[in-house]
Formats: sequence, C-alpha cells, structure tokens
Amino acid sequence: MATLSKLAEQDGEQMTEVKRDQPVASKAPSREWFGSRAALFAGFGTLLILMATVSIDSLYTLEAFETHDTQIRQEFFYREHTLEQVRTGVYESGDIISDYAVIESDSPSQERLRSEFQSIRNGTTASLKACIESLPADKRERFEHLADELERYWLKGDRLLALLATEKKGFGHSALRSDVLSQYAEVLAITREVRAVNDSELKETDRRIAETFAQFRRRLLVFGMIGFSFGLILATTTIVYAGQLEKSLQEKYRESLQAQRELKELSKRLVDAEERERRAISRELHDEVGQSLSALLIDVGNLTEMCSEDAAFRQGLQRIKTLAENCVNEVRNMALLLRPSMLDDLGLVAALDWQARETSKRTGMLVETVDENVSESLPEEYKTCVYRIVQEALNNCSKHAYAKNVRVVVRQESNHLRVSIEDDGKGFDANRVRGLGLVGMNERVSQLGGVLKVESDPAQGTCLRVDLPLPKASDVSGELNS
Amino acid sequence: MKKLRILLADDHILMRSGLRALLERQPNLEVVGESENGRETVALAASLKPDVVVMDVGMPVLSGIEATQTIVTQNPTVAVVILSMHADESYVMRALKAGARGYLLKDSAAADLIGAIQAISQGKSFFSPKVSRILAEDYVRVLKQKGAVDTYDLLTSREREILQLLAEGKTNKEVATALNISPYTVETHRSHILQKLNLHNSAELVLYAVRKGIIS
Repeated sequence: MATLSKLAEQDGEQMTEVKRDQPVASKAPSREWFGSRAALFAGFGTLLILMATVSIDSLYTLEAFETHDTQIRQEFFYREHTLEQVRTGVYESGDIISDYAVIESDSPSQERLRSEFQSIRNGTTASLKACIESLPADKRERFEHLADELERYWLKGDRLLALLATEKKGFGHSALRSDVLSQYAEVLAITREVRAVNDSELKETDRRIAETFAQFRRRLLVFGMIGFSFGLILATTTIVYAGQLEKSLQEKYRESLQAQRELKELSKRLVDAEERERRAISRELHDEVGQSLSALLIDVGNLTEMCSEDAAFRQGLQRIKTLAENCVNEVRNMALLLRPSMLDDLGLVAALDWQARETSKRTGMLVETVDENVSESLPEEYKTCVYRIVQEALNNCSKHAYAKNVRVVVRQESNHLRVSIEDDGKGFDANRVRGLGLVGMNERVSQLGGVLKVESDPAQGTCLRVDLPLPKASDVSGELNS
Repeated sequence: MKKLRILLADDHILMRSGLRALLERQPNLEVVGESENGRETVALAASLKPDVVVMDVGMPVLSGIEATQTIVTQNPTVAVVILSMHADESYVMRALKAGARGYLLKDSAAADLIGAIQAISQGKSFFSPKVSRILAEDYVRVLKQKGAVDTYDLLTSREREILQLLAEGKTNKEVATALNISPYTVETHRSHILQKLNLHNSAELVLYAVRKGIIS
C-alpha cells in the first residue's frame, strides 16, 4: 500500500511540474512573434511608402521638365523670330533706301517708299519692344543695345531719306549715306551677335536640362537600388523568419508527439503499476496474512481440544477463533476485490464466472457468462485487460444502466480474443456520452492494439465489444515463460 | 486397526505443524510425510503411497490442483482432500475435476478435517458445510432470478437415490450392489440424470449435489 501511494505521489508531482512548465513555454514565443510581426509590418510599410514616393517624385519631375522645356523653346523661337524680323526689316529698309535714291523726286512712289519705310520701322520697333518686355531683366541688356542701335539706324535712315527727297543729285548725302550703311552693318552685326548668344543660351539650357535629367536618372537609380536592396533584405528576412517559424513549429509538433507518446507510456506504466501492486498486495494478504490466520485457527482448535476442562479458557479461545475467522473473511474479500486469485490460479473464465456471481449476488442483476475456446493460459496482460473491462462494464450496468440481465461472451479465435458485454439497461447516446470509465477501458484495449466499440441508444440497452488481436503462439509461450 | 497414513502438503510451515498436531492427536491417523510444493507432493505420494493427501491449493512450482490431478491419475487409490482459502464454486469445480474427493476451507479445518479424512478414506465425498451452504445459496438465488424450474423436480425417486450415491463418491458397481440392480441399469440412470440436470461429468454431478444440499 505504501509503495502504491508513494508511486502515485511521485506521478502526481511529475504531472504538476509538467503543467507548471507549459504556460511559460507558450508565452515567450507569442511575445517574440508579435515583435517580429511588427517589424515585418514596418519593413513592408516603409518599402511601399518608398516606392510610392519615388513614383510620385518621378512623375512630378518629368512633368516639370516637359513644361520647362516647352517654355524655353517657345521663348527661344519668339526671340529668334523677333531677331529675324529685325534683320528682315533692316534688309528691306536698306532696299527701300537704295530704291529711294534712284527714283524721281516728288513722285508718288517716293511717297509710298517713305511710308513703307515708316511702317517697317514701326513694326520692327514694336516687335522688338514687345520682345524686350517679355524678357527677364538680366537678358534685356543686349536687346536694349540692339534696340538703341536700331533706333539710331532708323533715325539716320530717316534723315537720309529726307535729304534724298530734297537734294537727290547733291553730294551732301554721300557722307550720311555711308553713315547709314555703317549703322546698317552695325545693326546686322548686333543682330547676329544676339542671335548667336540666343543660340548658345538655348544650347546651354539644353545642356543643363540634359544634366538635370542625368541627375534625375541617377537619383532614380539610387532610389531604385535602395528600394531593391531594402526589398531584398526584407524578403530574405521574411524567408529566414518563415523558415524559423516552420522549424519551431516542427519542433513543437515533434515535442507534442513526444509528449503524447510519453503520456501514453506513462498511463500504460500507471495501469501496469496499479495492477502489479494490486496483485502483490492481494497475494500478500492471501498467502501470508490469510494463511497465517488459518494456521492460527488450527492452533486454536488444537488448544481447545487439549484443555477441555476450563470453561473460561475455552470461552477465551472461542473469542480468538471468532475474531480470527472474521479476519480471514475480511482478508479474503479484500484480496479478491483487489485482484481475484482465480485470474492467476484458474484463468480468465473462472475469474469472470466469479465476478458474474459476485455481481449477481451484490446487485440482483442476472449475469450470464458464455465462453468459447478460451485458453486457460492466455498472456497475463490479456487476462487482466478483459477482466478489468468486464468488471468496469458490469459496474456501469448496475450503477448507470439499471440493467436486469447482462450477458458476457468471451470467444477466442485463432488470432483474436473477442469479448462482448450486452445489457438490457436504459442505454445512452454513445456518440455523445464518453465517461471516464470508457476512456480507461479504451486505454487498456488500445495498449494491446485492440478495438473497443460501444453500441448504445437511449432505451436500447448497451453492447460493448472488444476485439483484441492475440500474439502469435510463439510470442504467447514467450510471455508465459517470462 | 490399521492407521490411516496421511501426507500433508502445504507451503506454509505453521499450517503444516498445526495440522500435524491436530492429526496426531487422533489414534487412528498417522502423518507419514510433509511437502511444501506440488512437485514434491507428487513425488512423495508416489513413494509413500499414503491413504489420504491433505492438499493446499496455492503452492509454488506446481499448484495443489495440478498435483491432485497427477496423483489421482497415477495412484487411483490415493484420496485427496483439498484445503483452500476459497469457498468459490470455480475452485470447488476445478478441485472436483482434478479428482479431489473433499474440499475444505482452511478456516474450518480444525473442526472438519478429521471427519473429512475419515469420510473420503471410505470413498465418500466431503465438503465444508460453509462451502455447501454458499453453493446451495448461489444455486437457489440463480434459480429465483431466472424464474426457472428446479430441474431436481424432474428426477424420479430412484434417480434421486442414485444421484446421492454417485455424488457421495460411489462407483457404478458399488451403487449397483447397494441397490441390488445391475451396473448397466445404474449407468442408464446416470445418463438420464446428467441429461435432465444438464450436467456433463461426474464432477459437475457432485457439485450439483452439493448445491442442492444432497451431500455435504
């Protein structure tokens, strides 16, 4: 008994230790997982924001480039056009001056030429002025210089025309004429110069645009590289992390399988230990205590025979005898309840018969046993398994099912041991109810690789079927020898 | 008068000495040997040829029941009385099948053993009163629970007479002599009895008689 309870205590301690460990082990990874998840969220979020920023920036920059470029080109063409107009105006006015010199004075065509000259002058000056006004302050200088020179040219041209109108054949105008010509050349030269500058400015702008574009490309490349690297790191991290998760999951799975195996092993050992202890105690009670008490009874009987005279003495002996008889009965019943000696002495069938008779006597339930070909030398664990299952089932029949009749059938076939326990009790819903007793039976049966089936419906009675595969004959004899 | 020679078989030394003291007080009994396991008992029974073996059930090496079977097969003249802790029918049945003539409970051995030895040495059966009572009670209870008819009522008075004699351990021939009929008639009656009571062999017949309280 002491060994048994100690064993139970030890097992209890182990169990509680296991339970204490579990919450700690499961808490830590969950916190870790939460941290990693946050990091992943942050990483992917940053990557997405980065990509969006780069895309918006690129679109914006490209659009700005386009607008800027168009504007610059428009401005360039506008200036170019104005300069061209100035040049044409100057050429045309030159032609007018030449024509003016060769035609008759006071003729209507002279008048026409002068008005033409005036209109060219006005048009050109107005265009140039408008152009200057459209220019930013820092670029006006050259154009203003051109405008001044052009104005001087017009003045000189105008003076020459006036002079030609009065004294065509005179020589006074030749000086003025050369002056006008030089001014003409001057204006054209300035125009060319301005054009060249304008041209070079355009080229400069193109160059700058190209440079900015290259810069933009570099920036895009850098951003792309950063994004790519970041993504790569993120992907690698994720893969590594997922791998770790998978590994830890596998580890956990293995651990849980292992724990399951250990639990099964433990429960098997518990069942075995319980049975072993029961048998040991039962044997001890029966063989030692019971036999000693029986011997005591014989001796008391002898004593009673030997001194038949003293009545008080005989009474004392009688009391001892009664006491010892009660003790023997007590011990015998205890031993039988722990583990019936028939199971070891006479085999499974005798033990089941005894169990059936005892149950009948105790509960009033009629228990019938039927056996077919059941060997007396079944392996120990099979006998115990079947006996304990029938015991539990009979217990259930009387306690829960309120059965009146129970039929226990044990049949041994070539490689199977089949047991069925059928009652006419109130039954239960076998699909829903699963008591601890059934779990225990199932445990015992599955330890021997067998199958336990419960067929029951409310008001239909219950049929419990057990099918145990038997080891081969050679194994059986091995079991018996050991 | 020739003393009855007795062999004591019990693995418990206190038990043996108690029994020896009990038996040796009787002038007509003599303990010729003691053994403490089944195999030794078989050997001693063969060499000593005792009249009665007082046999414990639970013994090491070879159980008392198996030893009984061997001894009775080898020496049909040796009568065996089983001493057991158990009043259960399965043990009684097994002892009878093995060939024992008597079945005693250890706690009533002091009172019953002498009578049992004398009875079985005369070829009769003997059961502890407590065993008979328990078996009879069981029998009555089962009959009541089943609501079945007592098959004993099916027997004729002649058959009941023969049943009692057979259950007491007499052979067909002895029964025939006692009743002054032929052994063949006895055999016919016997098979009728077995059939009516749904029994299969002599051991079951004896057990039935004990249950019914026909013998004790």
